[in-house]
Order: sequence, then structure tokens, then C-alpha cells
Amino acid sequence: MNAQAERAGLHRGMGFSDARAFCRDLQSRPADVRSDQRFLHSLARWSERYCPWVGLDGDDGLVLNIAGSAHLFGGESAMLGDMRHRLARTGLSARLGVADTRGAAWAFAHFSAGQTGARLRDLPVAALRLEAKTCTALQRVGLRHVSDVMALPRASVARRFGQDVLMRLDQALGDIPEEISPLQEAPRYAAQMSFPDPIGTGDDIMAAAERLLAQVCMRLKTQEMGARILQLTLRRVDQKSQQVELRLAAPLRDAKRILPLFQRGVDAVDPGFGIDQIQLQATRVEPLEIQQIDHTGSKVATKLDDLITRIGVRVGLDNVQRFLPADSHIPERSFLTASAAHSRASGAWVHLRTRPIRLFGPDPIAAQGTRPPQTFRWRRMFLTTARATGPERIAPEWWFSDDNWRSGVRDYWRVETRQGRRLWLFYTPQNPGWFVHGEFA
Amino acid sequence: MSYAELCVTSNFTFLRGASHPEELVTRAADLGLSAIAITDRNSLAGVVRAYSALKELRRELGDAALLPKLIVGARLILRDSDTHWIALPHDRAAYARLTRLLTLGKRRAPKGACFLDLRDLCDGCAGMSLIALPQGALRNSRADIARLRTCFPSDVFVGAAPRYDGTDQAYLAACSQLAHRTAAPMVAVGDVLMHHGSRRQLADVLTCMRHHITIDQIGTRALPNAERRLKPAADMQRLFARHPAALRRTTEIAAQCSFCLSELSYEYPDEVAGDEPPQDRLARLAQEGLGRRYPHGAPDRALAQVQKELALVKQLNFPAYFLTVHDIVQFARSQGILCQGRGSAANSILCYLLGITDVSPEVITMVVERFVSEHRGEPPDIDVDFEHERREEVIQHIYAKYGRHRAGLCATVIHFRSRAAIREVGKVMGLSHDVTANLSGQIWGQSNGGADPKRIKELGLDLSNARLAQTIKLIGDIIGFPRHLSQHVGGFIITKGRLDELCPIENAAMDDRTIIEWDKDDIDALGILKVDILSLGMLTCIRKSFDLIALHGGQTYSIATVPQADTPTFDMLCVADAVGVFQVESRAQMNFLPRMKPREFYDLVIEVAIVRPGPIQGGMVHPYINRRQGKEPVAFPSKELEEVLGKTLGVPLFQEQAMQIAVVAAGFTPSEADKLRRSMATFRRMGTIGQLRDKFIGGMLERGYEPAFAESCFSQIEGFGEYGFPESHAAAFAMLAYVSSWLKCHHPAAFACALLNSQPMGFYAPAQIVRDAREHGIEVRPICVNNSTWDNTLERRADGTLALRLGFRQIKGFREEDAAWIVAARGNGYPDPEALWLRAGLTPSALERLAEADAYADMGLGRRNALWQVKAIRAPKPLPLFNDPLDGEGIVEPKIDLPAMHLGEEMVEDYVAMRLSLRAHPMELLRPNMHGLTPHAELATAPLQRTHVCGLVITRQRPGTASGVIFLTLEDETGVSNVVVWPKVYERFRRAVMGGRLLRVTGHLQREGIVVHLIAQDVQDMSHHLGELGHPMDEAIGITQPQADDAPRTPAVKTARHPREQAKRLFPSRDFH
Repeated sequence: MNAQAERAGLHRGMGFSDARAFCRDLQSRPADVRSDQRFLHSLARWSERYCPWVGLDGDDGLVLNIAGSAHLFGGESAMLGDMRHRLARTGLSARLGVADTRGAAWAFAHFSAGQTGARLRDLPVAALRLEAKTCTALQRVGLRHVSDVMALPRASVARRFGQDVLMRLDQALGDIPEEISPLQEAPRYAAQMSFPDPIGTGDDIMAAAERLLAQVCMRLKTQEMGARILQLTLRRVDQKSQQVELRLAAPLRDAKRILPLFQRGVDAVDPGFGIDQIQLQATRVEPLEIQQIDHTGSKVATKLDDLITRIGVRVGLDNVQRFLPADSHIPERSFLTASAAHSRASGAWVHLRTRPIRLFGPDPIAAQGTRPPQTFRWRRMFLTTARATGPERIAPEWWFSDDNWRSGVRDYWRVETRQGRRLWLFYTPQNPGWFVHGEFA
Repeated sequence: MSYAELCVTSNFTFLRGASHPEELVTRAADLGLSAIAITDRNSLAGVVRAYSALKELRRELGDAALLPKLIVGARLILRDSDTHWIALPHDRAAYARLTRLLTLGKRRAPKGACFLDLRDLCDGCAGMSLIALPQGALRNSRADIARLRTCFPSDVFVGAAPRYDGTDQAYLAACSQLAHRTAAPMVAVGDVLMHHGSRRQLADVLTCMRHHITIDQIGTRALPNAERRLKPAADMQRLFARHPAALRRTTEIAAQCSFCLSELSYEYPDEVAGDEPPQDRLARLAQEGLGRRYPHGAPDRALAQVQKELALVKQLNFPAYFLTVHDIVQFARSQGILCQGRGSAANSILCYLLGITDVSPEVITMVVERFVSEHRGEPPDIDVDFEHERREEVIQHIYAKYGRHRAGLCATVIHFRSRAAIREVGKVMGLSHDVTANLSGQIWGQSNGGADPKRIKELGLDLSNARLAQTIKLIGDIIGFPRHLSQHVGGFIITKGRLDELCPIENAAMDDRTIIEWDKDDIDALGILKVDILSLGMLTCIRKSFDLIALHGGQTYSIATVPQADTPTFDMLCVADAVGVFQVESRAQMNFLPRMKPREFYDLVIEVAIVRPGPIQGGMVHPYINRRQGKEPVAFPSKELEEVLGKTLGVPLFQEQAMQIAVVAAGFTPSEADKLRRSMATFRRMGTIGQLRDKFIGGMLERGYEPAFAESCFSQIEGFGEYGFPESHAAAFAMLAYVSSWLKCHHPAAFACALLNSQPMGFYAPAQIVRDAREHGIEVRPICVNNSTWDNTLERRADGTLALRLGFRQIKGFREEDAAWIVAARGNGYPDPEALWLRAGLTPSALERLAEADAYADMGLGRRNALWQVKAIRAPKPLPLFNDPLDGEGIVEPKIDLPAMHLGEEMVEDYVAMRLSLRAHPMELLRPNMHGLTPHAELATAPLQRTHVCGLVITRQRPGTASGVIFLTLEDETGVSNVVVWPKVYERFRRAVMGGRLLRVTGHLQREGIVVHLIAQDVQDMSHHLGELGHPMDEAIGITQPQADDAPRTPAVKTARHPREQAKRLFPSRDFH
């Protein structure tokens, strides 16, 4: 919701149709919770400029423990001002609050935006981070402010509204400690090694790489991750550096399998006067669960992955492609090609109809009539029909305008020629003409 | 070579078939097919439509035309086999077996499904042609075919449907081989889904709806081509060139299926008569009725009418029908359930004598032809209203008396209307939610217009976009398609023999209900009788009023014994004091009453009929009122029309009059006139209205009427088609209107109490009813744990008048069971809230509800203190040790001073708990802070100038007949005001008008007699002021943080901390949406 929508009287949790009644030219997009979360995380990383101790608060809040760092910015209010200024400059509207306890800071941020010098006891009870139900219950007996609750005997409050109210109150007042759990830093998968004496031969480099790889792979294993891109940086004595990049077809952390794949890259390295430092980093990792090995082993798949990587190293990983089935009656649209490394083979190719192994153009041929021609020329070949089966009628997908299908409905025939070729011909009755579209194996 | 299509799926196989049965039959006739079978999936729902369409075609084209024969059948889908079976019954007996088989399957399954097994087929399919349609591999069907063939050696066939996938010839050869092996001959079928190839798109859209996907995800679930359409014999001959016998066999099977729906003869249940022949019993009951209705001897006219009707009934053989209805009404009477006939039944003196209706023939002209007619060839229609709270008793009585195999509710086919069509097709076509909402947003109520191109342009959508153009076309196509079957409001079919031999019966969504597959038009087309068992809230209210009056020492009344022609009652209606009165309580009626000034019963009949879309659209209201007020001379277009229109001052207001005009002035025969009426209402699909219009107008011009008059007569009949009242129906309703206003006039306390106890019903919320009662000087007492019961009750005051005590039912979320416990364990009263917990066993949440409703005030506990005390009780049940209230130690709690509640807070709390407050009106508290307002009570005398009013919105209406004008009713502490918002003003203040609960309206006053309108020029939403009520305004810190709603982890709807939100929850209004 933007500010305009708020001005028009919309609020969170409103039904869509109600909202539309308020605001006729309302535009809506589905909420993208994941990218909101991503954004919140990056905002949390940015907030580390103020203090090292940053945690998340709910879905849309950050909590910073600024103990010991406020003076670096000239005190609490100066820090708040700086924060507000910087956030406003990026176009973010934020509500900020600072206090001695986490609970009180939350209360100020949510219930006294902009007002400094507000006192906790003057805030509404909702500022105590209570459940909505408890809040209304408190309000209904006339307890509207934090001070009202504070004035009551604790036992009576606990008896009626539960221990939770007291706990939240104590947290806000600092009588009970409440910790902030900071965000975890993303683990780094890298290792490096320096040599007292520069090394130069390929074997030495490979030997060093093997050691580094062992370290990186161990770290990957503990996090249940696999590497997709590995970068080997070789620093030479003359301060120049060279890089060997390895793109893998599947996430991997098996050092034995990775190491040989480096060979080709390492062979191309020019060591110059020698290399005195090697660094290995997994620049892209993907989750890879620890798998139970069975006696048959999934050897075939891993071998195919290795092959793809191996070919990929030579021709570029993205140039290795595979066919995937697509759900359509239209022959041209019944398969997809996708980068082999970034797709999984689909097990099921559903064969609704017999389809040729190759598809062409389609190539027009000179013929007339609604049945396949007895003889025809195709690609400078003179062919004679021996047997024709059909027709299979396919109509264009009406919801998708495809220029190839402008000519309308097609009647497909399987034609076996005396010359031995088995071709797939079609006739377009709405726009008479014959075409060759494919060849069977 | 002729061909009969034996496998056709119509759109009554919901979300699968892509053509109406009517279209299929018409197309089959165009293609010259020799026969067509409508075979829906486990259903016969579409066959009557096809039958009616064929009948209509026959009538249009004459007997000589060659039309296809209609074969009734079903496609049976089994749970334990992937072979589908087309079952085509040969004769009436086999048809009965088919409907019983379907009933068996449907009664086993939840609503909408049908569970059948191969075994059921073996048991119950004698006398039908059974065509197997293998769905998977052919060899999988062999065993099933062989098994059925042993049961029915000569009736099992293998159906071969071409698949157009390039292997047809091979497939047909395989089918032929299968036929050879199983010795079940092969027969050609088309497996048709649509009447024309152009419906392929729609068929794909329906597939998407079925799978809840968008069109882009449909993939191979789409039809690969449009070949599954009805095809002429020549096409089929080409496809089956190698199997001519399979084609020939289609006509052979068609010839064997001689069953026609016209054979369904309907017989009334005969237990109604006992040993007596029905006609004699009817005559006897009529005679008894004469004695009862006319204690001083019946007038000759009535006697003549009785004889005429008895003869007519005898001729048409309907006596058992009257007796059936009579018995149902008798049962209701014996149970003390109030009931009254409505609709055209009031045209019959027999119904009056049997006690089905209460309007005497002296009051209205009884046109018995409107009720039963020999030309119509269709049964009469008796609709009876019962008390809405007790109708279920009547329904269950019917099931119990006649059995579920003989009685069933009829279905209502739910069709796609514009709104649903736009929403669902839009979703499939991938339009965004915003766009579909915008497209359908402008459609108020039900409409069949589809998406309006002008509107689309306004939205800035590009009509030349192919996808959008397709969507618009598809929306147009799908409107009128059946979506699912639902139960009719109360149409019962009761038969002498088994009902499940007439039509399949299935379970309804409601427990204990069974419905048949046909809707009321189908029933009409087949001449089957139904009795409408309807429910009416006002009857409940009237019965409860009668009970209360009797309970408090008054007379015992019934509808028939309420004094007629009571002057104070009419005086009351003349000043539009009609809150709660049946029919005339709506805003439009209330405005009309002072102009109409009803002085006698017939005026009420007109009043009820005139404020309806029919007469309003026909422009009949103003001429009538002008004539009545003497501003316009009463003139008749011609001598013969004077007779027809005399009672209504020359203005046609009733359906009967419109029909009679067609007869008298346009030269229609009575049956033509009736057809005209019906063609307006139900037969729109056939498109015959144009001819009738020409004939009507032509006929009137020939007889020398003004073209303008002819036009307006026709447009009125058009309006009547769906919304008109027949005079008899208006009279039946006017009777209830009269009785309820008599009650309101003479027993206001009992009436208000009964009205509250019958909620939800009527037009006004409890707050308005209570307010109206207090304005009439009735003391209303608050809810109290020591005095109230579940229902609202009357209490005798010291001065002898009655006071209304609010009951626990007014407390939101309070359960009837808890109320019963409170009353049962009350004894000499409860001293404190804890006693309720201990003695009545109430849960803490129920105790809290009572505290919130301030029901402990009697114990000297204010709302807050009560709540504080109750809050201390947390356990659902008392613990054994502390059970004894005298000796229990309990916990000694420090005394606590809670902040006192001020009036505003109390009032808001009242609204929260009960949606009404006896303390004060919100406006009373807000008025000091709002300046320049005119209280509503002063509007009647205020100068006609720019005026400001402010009040809670009670109603917001936008009638379809008022071209976008919105009517608001505002309420303040002094009364109500009527605000008219023109569309232009509405567009400017849309948000306030739509969303505001408390509105400040500025505009010009208009007065006509005692009717006052404020024509709005400026509308301001004042709802936020309501938030001030609950909070002291001098509170130090900002009470409301506008953004506070967005506080995380609090669902905004529930907490409603924003004042506007709070206001919305507290003061709900009846809205249009």
C-alpha cells in the first residue's frame, strides 16, 4: 500500500472488493513475501553500520542493540536523526524508536512516531506487544494506557489477563532481560595457501588445489551445500593474478570428482616467475543434502553430470542443452530446450501421438488435393509415396497467436516413401497447401 | 443414408459440454439427422430442455417438417470400470429403470456425484440399448462388455467414435474386431461435445474451469481440434466408409428407442382422499368451507364460482392436487404453524374455501383462468408461505408422509450470469484480478448483458488486443450456461407412484433434503404438479404477535379474525408510520404511502403492486398517483378497457390486466396472451419475442389505440415478465401487510417483541425496531440476568401497559443453550456473577458476554466492575473443593478502582455487545461538537433551502430502476432523513457514500406532502467522530495513531484500532453490494 492508498482510506487486512469500493482505479499486485524478507535482510546488513548487533523483529522490523556505539554518532538522538535522514534519502519511510529496553523501543517506534520525549506510561496498552485479544480485554475494563496497568496489583492482573501481560510490562521496563538474536553471517567457502617459495609446475598447482579443495569441501559438507562455481585464484610473484573458473553441471562437494575438472584450466595457466599464493573460493553454492548411498548407486546420473561439466568446460556450460517435454498438441511447442546444467531431466515423455524424431521448417512442396500426393519433390529429392496414414487433425491453439499457424488447421499424414524415408506431411485445408514437417527415424 | 447421433454431451454435464440442449437439437434438425440422443454424464438434467426445444421447433415449422427424433438417455460412468456406457431406454418401463439406477447412484454419493458400479448395471439395465465407449485401451473393456452381454444378449453394442488422431482407420478396425470378439455389434457414435465447431474455445475454457487452471496451462487437456461437433450423415459416412453397418445400426437403435418424455404421466398421490373419490371429497370440503367462510349464507356469485371451478377441476382432473395442498395446510394448522397461499392461487375460490388463501372473492376479481386454464395445458401453481422458522417441520412432514421415493424438491439450475461469467472466464484467460473486478464492478445485481464495450474503453483496455477480444466473446457465449444444480426454494413434487421412476433424485447440499434433477420450467413443460412450500418471516412474526397478545390477556386472533377496515390502522399507514410492517416498510414504499393515502384494503393491494420494477419501468406510477390525487382526469383509452382497468383508474398495474389488455385490445386469444407472458419470462432463449411484439402493437393500432399507449402497454408486460405481481398475489401480500399494520397499531409492544424474536427478517435492524417502539411510547427494558429469557418478552408495568424486556438473543454471539440454563437455574435470582458460573454452569466466555452487555446491572455491578469480576473466573467448570460458595475460602483480592465509564463509552459498549443502545444515540453525544446541523425532526418544518444533516447510515440503496441514483437513510436521535444522491454527486463522494457510517450531508430540501427529501450536494464521512465516543476527548496523548493499524502482528480487521474501523464494526448498515 502506498501513501495514496492510505489516504484513500485503505488499510491492511481489508478485503479486496471493499478496497475497490473505496478506490475505483485501485491497482493490486500479489504480495511478494520472499523479496520483502530479502530486502529486510539487506537492510539489516546495512544497519550494521550503526552497531554490530542487528536482529529481526517480526516481518517488518529490525532491532539494533546500540549499547556502546551510540556515542560514535553523537548520542542516541543524533544517531536516530542520521538513520532517519539516510532512510528518507533512499525513499523509505521508517518509524524509529530508541529506548533502554527492547520492549520500550518497540513501543516508541510503533506508537509515538516522531514524538520525542514521550513516556512509556502514556502509551496505549497495545504498545506492550500484547495479543490483540488481550489488548481489547484490557481496554474494555478501562485500562487504556500502560500506566493504568502499572497501577494495578500484579496478582489481580495476572489472574485475569495472564502472565503474559506482566512479562511484557517487565520487559519494557527492564525488569526482565530480553535478548536480541543477531542475524547470522553467511558462511564463506574459501581457503587460501601461501608458499614460502613460489611454485610453477602444473602438478604443484594441482597438489595445492587438492589441499584447498579438501578444506572447502569439508566446509561445504558441514553446511550441506554443494558448489556450482569454483574460482581458483593464483597470485604470481609479480603481483599479477590469474583465475581458473570451474562451472559445474550440478552442485558438488566431492573433492575427488572436482579436482580432475580443474586440470584443463590449470594447464592453461602461465606461472610466469612462480606463484606464491593460491586461493580457492566457491562463488556460488546450492543446497545439497547428504544422501544415503545405495548399492546400485546413482552412478549414471553423476557420470552424466561429469560429462556435461567436462564438455561445458570446453564449449561453455550454457551451450550444453537438453530437451524437455512441454504440454501441447502443437508439434513445435511440445518440447523445450533448456540449459542442461540448470535443468533436471524429466522422467516422463508422454506419448499421446506418434511424433517424428526431427522437425523441419515446415518445407512447402508442390502438391494438390486433400490426400498425400503420389509423388513429390522435397529438398531436391524425388520421392514416391508407398503408404500414407492419417489424417491427424490439429487446430492452432486459439489463445496463443503463433505466426507459423496462420494457415489454420492442419491435417498431418505419415508418409512412407519407396525411397525409404518416412516423412511427416501436412495439408492445410483452410489455405490449401502441402508441407513436409518432419522425418521419422 | 441417414444417421442418428447417439452420444451427445450437452452443457448439463457441467463444465464439460459446450452447447445448450436447445442448440444441439436445432443444429441436428439443420443437419437433417434422423435422431439425436442427449446423453449427459450420469444425468438426465438436460433432456427436458431438448424436448421443449423440439416441441417449439415443431410448432414453428409445422408438422410436415422433418425433425430429428429425440432419444432420452444418459452416459453412465462407473466407479469400477473405465468403460463409459450410453444407456438408451426403449420404453417407459426401461426409462423408469434408468432413473432408478441413477437415483441409486446419486443417493449413495454426496451432492453432485454419482457412484455406480458394473454390478448395478447388470441388475438394472433391462430394456435399454447399452453402447460401450472404451476410454482406455480397447482390450481393457473386453471383459466388461462380455459381462454385460451375458446379462443383456441383444442390447449391448460397441461404440466406435473417431478420434481424428491419424489412426482412425486402424482404431475403427480394432473396434470392429472387438465387436466381433465380444459379439456385441459395432455402432458409430460421434461423442459430441458441441453443436458447432466454433464452440471449441468455450469447451477449452470450461476444461480450464474444471481443472482450476488458466488457458496457458491447459496443454494437452485442450481439444486438439473442433471435430467433436455434430456432423451430418455425409461426413460420418466418409469416416465410416469401411463400416457401413455401424452407421446403419445407429438408425436401428434409434428406431428401437420409442420412449418419449410426453409419456411421463403424472399422478397425484391418492392417500389424500381415503376411501372417498377425490372429486367428491373436494366438493364436500368446499361445501364445508362455504359454511365456515360465509356463516350467513354465501352470495350467489360465490356459489356460481364454486360450481364453475369444481367443473373445471373435474374436467382437468386436478382434484387430488387441491387435496394434497389442503392436507399440507391442515397439517401446518394442526401444529400451530401459520401459513397462507400466495400467487395466483388466490384467484381461486376453492383455495379460499379450503383455507389455503385468506383473500375473499369480494375483494379482488378472481380470474380463475389465470390460475387454471384448459388452453394452457399446464397445471396450476399453488404457492404456500409458512413461518420461516418452522417451515422445515412442514418439509420433513411431507418427506415422512409420502416417503423420499415419492416426494422431492425440484432443482434450480444456477446459470452463469454476467458477474460470474466475467470473473471465471477472466480468470481462465489470465486477466488480472483488477481488470475482472473492474469489468464486473459496474454490474449491479443480476444481469445477462456481459461486459459492456463502452465500459471496457473507459477502463483503458485495448479492445483490439486479441486475448481481450476473445475473452469478451467467450463471456458472451458462456452467459446462460448452467453451472450447477441447486435446490429450489420450496417446490415439492409429490407423486402417487415412485418419484424415482419419473426422474433421478439426488442429495441436496442440505442434510435431509433430496432434490430431483429438473427445474421448475422442466416440470411445467412435462405437466407435472408442484407445491411450493415457501417461507416467510412475517408469518413467524404475526404468529408470535398473536401468541404474545393471548399470553398477556388479550384475545386469540388468527389472520382471518383480525378486524378488517380498521380506521386507526389506515391513519397510521397514511403518515408512513410503517417500520416493520410487511412489504410497505421499504424506503420506496414509505415514500409512497403518504401520497397514496390508503383508506381501504384494496388500496393496500395497489400499494403493494405498484412499487415494483414492472410498473415503475412501464411508467405507470405517476399517471396512477396523479389520477388518484385528482390532478389528472380518470380517462379510459376505450370502452372495453374501462372494464379491465376500472379498479386501477385506467392504469394497468397487475399481470392479469396486462393479459386482458392483450386479449381485449390487441385481439390475442387467452392462450396467446398467456404465451406472451411466458415468453417474456422463461423462453428468452428461443427468441420469439419480436413476433409477439409486432402482433401486439399491430393489434392495438388496428383497434384504434394511440401508438404511445400501445408501446407503454407492451413495455409494461415486458417488465411484468420477471417482476410483475398478479392481482391475487398482491392481495395475498396486502393481507399480511394489513394484519401486520393492525398489530403495530393496536399492539405495538407485542408486535415489536415478535419482530425482534423473528430476526433476521425484514428491512430494519433491531436498533431501528427498538427505536421505533420507544418512539411509540413503549418502555424498553435492558437485558438482565435476573429477568430476561432467550427471547424478548413483555412485562406488565404498574400502570397496566406492557413493557418490552430485551432477551439474551440480542447479545451477539450468545448461545440459546446458555440462556436456557440461566432461566432454568435462576430460582430466586442470582446475587453475583459467580452464582451464574456455579449454578447455571456458564462458561467464562458466556459470563463475559453478559458483562459486556451490561446484564449484571441489576446486581449493582456496572459494566466494568462486572467484567473485572467475571474476568477472574477462568476455569470452564468450578473445581470441586471450591464449589461451596458459603464456605469456600476463595482469594481475597484488593479492592480496585477502575476508571468509570462515561455515557459515550457505555453507548459504544452497548453497540459492541448488542448492536443497539437504550442509553443514547451517538448523534446526541456528537452534536455539541458539530455545528450548523438541522435535526431530522425539524426537517418537516425547516425552510426549503440549503441544509446540513448528519446521521448514522441505516440504509443505502441503489435500485436498478432508478438509473444509478442512490438513496440513503440517515438516522439521528430525533428521527430519520431521506437523502437522494445523484450519480454525479456519487462519483465525487464515492468513498464517503460507500464507506461512511456517519455521514454529514449538505443539500437542498424537497418536500411533497409529508415526504421530505434532501438532494445531496456534498457528502462528508464523519465516521471518525464515532471514535471520539469511546474515549474522553481531553486525553493527553494522541488517542489514535492513524498508522497504528499497520502495527505488525495485529490483524487489522480484528483489532480495528482505527476509529473509522471501529465505527464500521459498531454501526453496521444494510448495504447494497
